[in-house]
Amino acid sequence: MSRRIGITGVGLVSALADEPLAFHRALRAGARALQPVVEESLPDLAGRPHAPLPDFAPERYLGADANLRPLDGAGRRLASAAALALDASGWSPSMRAAEPVGLVVGTMFAGMRTIAEFDRRALEAGPQYVMPLDFANTVFNAAAGQAAIRYRLTGPNATLGGGPVAAVQALGYAAQLIRSGQVRAVLAGGVDELSREALVCMARAGLLSAAAGAENSSGRPGAPVPFDTRRDGCALGEGAVLFMIEAIDDALERGAPILAEIVSSASAWAPPGEAGSGEDPVADALARVISTALADAGLAPEQLDAWSSSASGAISGDVTEARGFVAALGAAASTIAVTAVKGALGEALGAAGALQTLVLLGAMRDGFLPGVAGLEAGEPGLGIRLQAAEQAVDLKNGLVTAVGFEGAVEALVVRRWEGDPHAAR
Amino acid sequence: MNRRRVVVTGLGLVTPLGVGTAPTWQGLLAGRIATGPVRSFDAGPYRVDRGAEITGFCPEHHLQRVPAESIGRASQFAAAAARMAVADAGLDDVPSPAMAERSGVAMGTTSGEPAEIERFDDAWIAGRSAESDPRFVQRYPFHVIAQNVAAEVGFRGPVRMLPNACAAGNYAVAQATELLRSGAVDRMLAGGADIFSRITYSGFARLGAVAPDRCRPFDRERRGMIPGEGAGVLLLETLEAARARGAHIYAEVAGYGLSCDAHHMTGAHPTGDGAVRAMERALSSAGAVPGDVSYVSAHGTGTQANDRVEAIAIQRLFGARAAATPVSSIKSMIGHTMGAASAIEAAVCALAVRDGWIPPTANFVAADDDCHLDFVPNVARRLPVKLAMNNAYAFGGSNASVLFRAVDA
Repeated sequence: MSRRIGITGVGLVSALADEPLAFHRALRAGARALQPVVEESLPDLAGRPHAPLPDFAPERYLGADANLRPLDGAGRRLASAAALALDASGWSPSMRAAEPVGLVVGTMFAGMRTIAEFDRRALEAGPQYVMPLDFANTVFNAAAGQAAIRYRLTGPNATLGGGPVAAVQALGYAAQLIRSGQVRAVLAGGVDELSREALVCMARAGLLSAAAGAENSSGRPGAPVPFDTRRDGCALGEGAVLFMIEAIDDALERGAPILAEIVSSASAWAPPGEAGSGEDPVADALARVISTALADAGLAPEQLDAWSSSASGAISGDVTEARGFVAALGAAASTIAVTAVKGALGEALGAAGALQTLVLLGAMRDGFLPGVAGLEAGEPGLGIRLQAAEQAVDLKNGLVTAVGFEGAVEALVVRRWEGDPHAAR
Repeated sequence: MNRRRVVVTGLGLVTPLGVGTAPTWQGLLAGRIATGPVRSFDAGPYRVDRGAEITGFCPEHHLQRVPAESIGRASQFAAAAARMAVADAGLDDVPSPAMAERSGVAMGTTSGEPAEIERFDDAWIAGRSAESDPRFVQRYPFHVIAQNVAAEVGFRGPVRMLPNACAAGNYAVAQATELLRSGAVDRMLAGGADIFSRITYSGFARLGAVAPDRCRPFDRERRGMIPGEGAGVLLLETLEAARARGAHIYAEVAGYGLSCDAHHMTGAHPTGDGAVRAMERALSSAGAVPGDVSYVSAHGTGTQANDRVEAIAIQRLFGARAAATPVSSIKSMIGHTMGAASAIEAAVCALAVRDGWIPPTANFVAADDDCHLDFVPNVARRLPVKLAMNNAYAFGGSNASVLFRAVDA
C-alpha cells in the first residue's frame, strides 16, 4: 500500500485574492476579475477582457527590504506564492535547513517577456549590451530556481510545461516524488505572467475573447464565459499558486493540519480531431484519464461530489471537456456539482490547475461550491449541471480536470481529510 | 520493495557528430571534434565565433507522420530521434491503440523553440507584431516538443515537458522512470532537445563563458563551453516487458537523484553540495555505493567554475576511490547541447554499458592543479561498465544524476 499524500498549506497570488479564505469568498459571491486591456500601441488588443493581478506588490510577501532585482515578473509571482505557502504550512527556515523541500512548477510561457526583451535588446543595442542577470531569467525554470534560492529549497526542482494542464501534472508529480522516497515535502503548483507578448500571440491565434461590443473572428459578439452559448474565447489571466505536499503520516507526526488528500491522478495526450469529422479524440482521452483516476481512487461515479473544470470560454475546448466528463461519469454526470473558475479568474495557464484545485479545498472546508461566474445561458445538450450561483455541497471527493492546447488532458482526485490518523499508516 | 525495473531498449541521437546513433557513438570513441565556426547566423557582433551546429539534417528522411514544416527545428530533432529510438527498440512504426494508451513521452529542453520567438521579435521590432504568425502559439511554447514527439510516434499516454535547462534530459529520464515504476505506463520515450540559437549564444557570450577555440573540460587551459544543438531520446520500458518480447536491452535505469543548489542562478555551489546530494541520492535509490561506479559521464562544460566544482563534488563523494574512477565529458567533442546534453549523455552511458567502451575527454593537455581525477584524456578506453553515472547541472541550481546498470542476461 503506497503512502497517502496530503496538502498542508497553500500560498497564492491571484486576480481575486491572495489569501485562501478571501479567494473562496470572492468566488462564492460571483466576483469576476476581468477588465479591458488598455494598450494603445497594440490596437488588436485594446478593449479585450483580461484578468491581471490587481496592484501586485511583491514586497508585501517577500519583505519590504527584499532585493527584487534578480526576479522577473514570473519569478516575483512564484516567490510570493512560495513565501505564503511555506508560512501557511509551517515549514520554517530551520526545518528547511534540516530537510530538503522540493519545488514542482507548472507553466506555459514562464519568462516569455524576459526572453523576448533580452532578444530584442541584443538585436537593437548589440549582444554586448544584454544583462547577465536577464540571461539567467531566460531559462524556463528560472522562476523555480529563484524561489529555491530565496527560500533554500534544496530538494528536486522541476518545471513542467503545458499551460492549463501543467499545475495538475505538477501536483501528481509531487505526490509521485514523495511516494518514491525521493523527497519528503514538495511545494507544487504553477505560475504564469500576463505579458504583451502572450496577449499578442494568443489574440493572433484566435484564442482570446473579443472586446465588448466587437465581433471576434468567428463573427459573434462574445463573452469569456465557460460553457456559455456566447463564449468566443478566453480572457487571459495570470497568477501563482503553490501547495505544500507531504505524506500524511509525516504531516500528522509534526502536527500539521491536512487541508485535503491527493488521491490519484492520470494524464494523457491525443491529437486534436479534424473539425467537422465528428470525432473528438481529446474528449475520449479525457474520459479515459478520468476513469483511471476514479478507479485508482476506488470511486464509483456517483461517489464524486464536485467537478472543477478547466473550461475557459474556448469555443470547442469547453465542449470537448464536457464530452469527456459525461463519457466517463455516465448517468451520474448530470447530478454532480460543477464549477469553472476561469469565468472569474480568466485563463491563468500555468497557475490555472492549482486555482481549480483550490476552489475544491474551499468547498470541502465551508460546504459551498461557487458556480460559473458570468454564466447566462449554458450550452444546451452538454448533460452537465451548470449554474451561475454557488451551491451547498457536502464535498468529500472532488475531481479536477484540465484540457490543454493541442490535446493534453489531466485528471486529479482530491478528498476531504476526515482526520483518522490510523488511516494514514 | 518489489518495484518494476526500468530498462533502455532503444536509442535515437541527432548530434553535431551526425544524425543517428552510429555516427555519434563512433565519432565519440574516435575523439572527433564537431565544434567549429558558427554558420547559422552572423557571429560578427560577438567576440567569439565557435559553435557546434548540425548540418545535413533532413527531417523528411526521418519523420513519418508529422509534416516537418509544421513544427519547429527542436521538435524536428526530437521527433527524428524518437523515431530512431522506436525503430531501434524493434517496436512497430504505429503502435496498436491499446499500446499507444500505455506509452508516454517525457522530454527536456533549455530553450524550447527559440527560433519561433526570434521571428516574433523580428516582427515586433519592425512594428508588425499584429501580423505575427498566427501559428506562433502552436509552434513556440516549449511543451509542444513533447507533443510533437507523441504525434510522430503515435503515443497517447502521459506527455510531459520538463524545461529544466541543462539538466532537463536527466529530469525527463527520471520522470519517465517514475511513471514506469508507478505502473501508469508500459513504455516511455525520454530525452531532450535544443537548437542553436542567437538568444542562447548572446547570453553565454555575454557571460564570457564561450571558449575562443576548443572546449577543454577539466583541462588547466580550459576557457569555456561551446554552445551546440541536438536531441537524444531513449526508449524505456519495464524489464519484464522487454524480456517478454525478446528485446535487446542496453542497460537498466538503476536509480536517480535530484536536488537543487538553492545558491545561485548561473553559478554552482562552491563546494558542490547540491551535486553531491544528487549523486548520493541516485546511489542510495539504486542500492549502490560509490565503489560500484565504473564510469562517470560528467557535466563537464569546460568553464572554469563548473569543472572545478564538479571535480570537487566527485572527489568528495568518491573519496580515496576518486582517482581510480574514470570521468569524461563528451562536450569536448559535441559542445554543450543544452537540454539535449544529459539525454545524449544518458544514451552514451547506455552504450558504454552495452559495449564496454567509454568515450574520452578530448582536447585534453594537462590537468588542473585542483582536479586530480582520471579524465580519460583524448583516447577512448575499453572498460567493462557495470554501473555508469550520468551527471547534469543547470541554471537555476538544478542537479540530476541518473545511474545505468548492466542487466545480467
